[in-house]
Amino acid sequence: METLIQQLINGVTLGSVYALIALGYTMVYGIIQLINFAHGEIFAAGGYIGVITLSLLNSRGVLESHPVLGLALAFLLAMAYCAFLAVALERVAYRPLRKASRLALLLSALGMSIFFSNGMMLCQGVYDKAYPTQLYATGQFTVGGAVVSYIQVYIVAGAVVLMVALNLFVNRTRLGKAMRSTAQDRTMSALLGINANRTITITFVIGAILAAAAGVMVGLYYGSVRFDMGFVPGIKAFAAAVLGGIGNLTGAVLGGMIIGLVEVFAAGYLASEYKDVFAFIILILVLYFRPTGIMGEQVDDTRV
Amino acid sequence: MPELNLTDIGIRFGGLRAVDGLSFALEPGEILGLIGPNGAGKTTVFNLITGVYRPHGGAITYDGRALHRLLPHQIVAAGVVRTFQNIRLFKAMTVLENVLAGRHCRTRVGVVGALLRTAAQRREERESAERAGEVLSFLGLYHKRDEIAGNLPYGLQRRLEIARALATEPRTLLLDEPAAGMNPQESRELMDLIRSILDRGINVLLVEHDMKVVMGLCHRVVVLESGRKIAEGEPAEIQRHPEVIRAYLGTGGRGARTQVAGP
Amino acid sequence: MRGFAKWTVWVVVAALAALPGWAAAKTLKIGSLSPLTGQYAADGNDIKQGVEIAIAQWEAKGGVPGYDEIEYLPQDSGCDGKQAVSAANKLVNLGVVGVIGAYCSSATLPASEVLMEGDVVMITPASTNEKVTERGHKLMFRACGRDDDQAKVVVEFLSRELKAKRVAIVDDKTTYTAGLAKNIKKFGKGKLEFVAHEHVNQGDKDFSGVLTKIKATRPDVLYMSLYNPEGNLMAIQARRLGLKAALMSEDAVYHPNYLTIAKDAGEGTFFTFGQPPSEDIPEVAAFIKAYSAKYGKPGSYSAYAYDAANILLGAVARVGADDPGKLAEAIRATRMQGASKYIQFDEKGDSGSTYKVLVVKDGKFVPYWDPETGKRY
Repeated sequence: METLIQQLINGVTLGSVYALIALGYTMVYGIIQLINFAHGEIFAAGGYIGVITLSLLNSRGVLESHPVLGLALAFLLAMAYCAFLAVALERVAYRPLRKASRLALLLSALGMSIFFSNGMMLCQGVYDKAYPTQLYATGQFTVGGAVVSYIQVYIVAGAVVLMVALNLFVNRTRLGKAMRSTAQDRTMSALLGINANRTITITFVIGAILAAAAGVMVGLYYGSVRFDMGFVPGIKAFAAAVLGGIGNLTGAVLGGMIIGLVEVFAAGYLASEYKDVFAFIILILVLYFRPTGIMGEQVDDTRV
Repeated sequence: MPELNLTDIGIRFGGLRAVDGLSFALEPGEILGLIGPNGAGKTTVFNLITGVYRPHGGAITYDGRALHRLLPHQIVAAGVVRTFQNIRLFKAMTVLENVLAGRHCRTRVGVVGALLRTAAQRREERESAERAGEVLSFLGLYHKRDEIAGNLPYGLQRRLEIARALATEPRTLLLDEPAAGMNPQESRELMDLIRSILDRGINVLLVEHDMKVVMGLCHRVVVLESGRKIAEGEPAEIQRHPEVIRAYLGTGGRGARTQVAGP
Repeated sequence: MRGFAKWTVWVVVAALAALPGWAAAKTLKIGSLSPLTGQYAADGNDIKQGVEIAIAQWEAKGGVPGYDEIEYLPQDSGCDGKQAVSAANKLVNLGVVGVIGAYCSSATLPASEVLMEGDVVMITPASTNEKVTERGHKLMFRACGRDDDQAKVVVEFLSRELKAKRVAIVDDKTTYTAGLAKNIKKFGKGKLEFVAHEHVNQGDKDFSGVLTKIKATRPDVLYMSLYNPEGNLMAIQARRLGLKAALMSEDAVYHPNYLTIAKDAGEGTFFTFGQPPSEDIPEVAAFIKAYSAKYGKPGSYSAYAYDAANILLGAVARVGADDPGKLAEAIRATRMQGASKYIQFDEKGDSGSTYKVLVVKDGKFVPYWDPETGKRY
């Protein structure tokens, strides 16, 4: 029982991170039908900005005296930088190819993924960069014998706050509505006065903000970042987005949670070395019975 | 009311001249009909005016502004908006949300304002909701405002498309076959609606196959064939115009086209 | 057009003739195989840099007798057999006389087959799997220790010094880590109870699932048979889960990164490593000084790679590189104080293991237990 609760906690933490990244994949897919492979690297860049900021603050002693402020700054800078990166990515690699074939766009995305990953390696080196974790990783409490560390609580709570904010943004605000209508019918939206380019930019920015937050969280949680840290979580978050029904926000969160839980339970009760295999088997099974994913709707062919 | 001017407009798709040397004007206070056999280029003209296509030659001006240099959303902001022959609503959103999508270009508050819920943002939201409500009432859709657009019956979906277009506060409305699939009763209601739109100070460019609607509603008519203008004039003149009769009958008299000689 | 073609030919010929010492220069080509990108790029670059320091020192002394210059061709082998084989083929085609590498045993084994076929000498600075020198290849050498020696030290330490009973092992299924785990279980039979043997994947970041499972088996010791980034992450996550067991790991996790990343969680972790010799030895001090001046603190394998390069270049200086068999014999005859240990090869090509147990204390690796004496330092 203790082990079961512990595994649930492990899975939900991991799932929250996947969900945050998956949201970016699903939003971008929804709006320009592109699998943005470079999204995982944007997540990694967030982790790097986090470690750079926190290390700098730590060396000045600021982190000691104002830990909350320091953390907030790390998150904000990571979000700002990643947003900038995503806008540049869209401008340089995707916008010129908007009218080209989807395959060309996809290859461009793959290329940018490799470019960013190697760029981070050249700028930041091949070595792991350590977070000043001790500040955040020490506290913990127990629930029914299972150990919950504060960092896990922060990650899950942070993810929930961001998801609620996203939900409000998309459903309640003018720009959010523009995003939804552009996702449904880009040409029609433009003909109703919605600036398609601007809406697409905003979508990339929001996806990047969520990924940046996930990047800093992961850095804090695992204690370090690496230039190639975006690849595997990127693939899994992409799988999560597909599992939930690509283009669907609720689906992305659900998919992220499922992948996180399946992975942890497969490691805990079956065989750890095949945990990724189980995650992808679930994906294949779901797609077999529901090709559009759990929450996905029938793809509308009238969409331009 | 503004004047929409097309001067020597042309566009090619591959080797095909879809529109060739076309000139006409939509005058203030006018409902202008644009008719022609299938494939004459009527929808292409709409796409040219609204910025979906760029003309390969000629100029489109609106109130003296060069429309053909603007992007689609800028054209909407300038006051020209269109509807589609095959209905293109945001089917997954509610009736009200569809109309609010049309409000986008008339509102300003950005991400920061939206997140902080500033006073300006709240005022703007209230105004938008009022305007949207007003447009929905005008179209008789107010009681359906929270329904999912895709679930509305066909006739109401057409009306919603017009409502969404009106929500952008246009000064010129382009309607692409608004009467398609309507019964005579609905067509009459539509004609009344278009007249009342004109009364609101919006001039109308109308593509329509139903000649009862065209002849009963339009002040003037422009006839296209294979991308060229073959006639222009008042409805009564057009009905008698030998080129027009040839164009319609000469195509093999496909179905309803013979209606051109009708009442 | 014909006039243009004629001119082009003349220009090309003139340019080639003008190249300095075009036909005359004799170049000594040596290669290396290690992961320069990806997961294990940290250790991989340490190896490359170790070789570079050795070459720079030879060049500073006037180069290798009989050669005008040394050309160093470092290759990225990853930790992957396929990539290592293609890199080894490339080196054979480039005409190298010797190769330093590879890092992971799973890369060294297949790559060495290609090099042996091409009559190229290979000295691994890091691959400790015993098969590396057990296949009877005359051109294969190892500058580091052997896993079976390492496993014996681990078992002795756990059973005699720590008096541990219940041991949980995690490996990542690669040749090195799985081989070491197998050896520990073999030598530990009857002395230790292995309550769990789990496998993870290279590149995994989250071990919460498998660690929760291990925690339920109440081990006294968690033995991490892994490579560096995974080991760092596992230590943090084990402590975070409240796992009280002692942590122990090996030479592939032994790296300064473990201290900076695992921090408090790494405190008290035991390691087996070929004991770094005293810095009082002049050769050792000189190496650390030269390396630090250029690349910062040496990594775990920097010194082994440096020694391996010196062994190779020294042998070439004595007998030349024209006959691979003669070169191998010269390497076998090497007796020298290196930066990693005193080098002396046996018939198989092994240079002896010097495994000691170290512990992380106050954020530093400090010697803890000597298997020769069975006593703590």
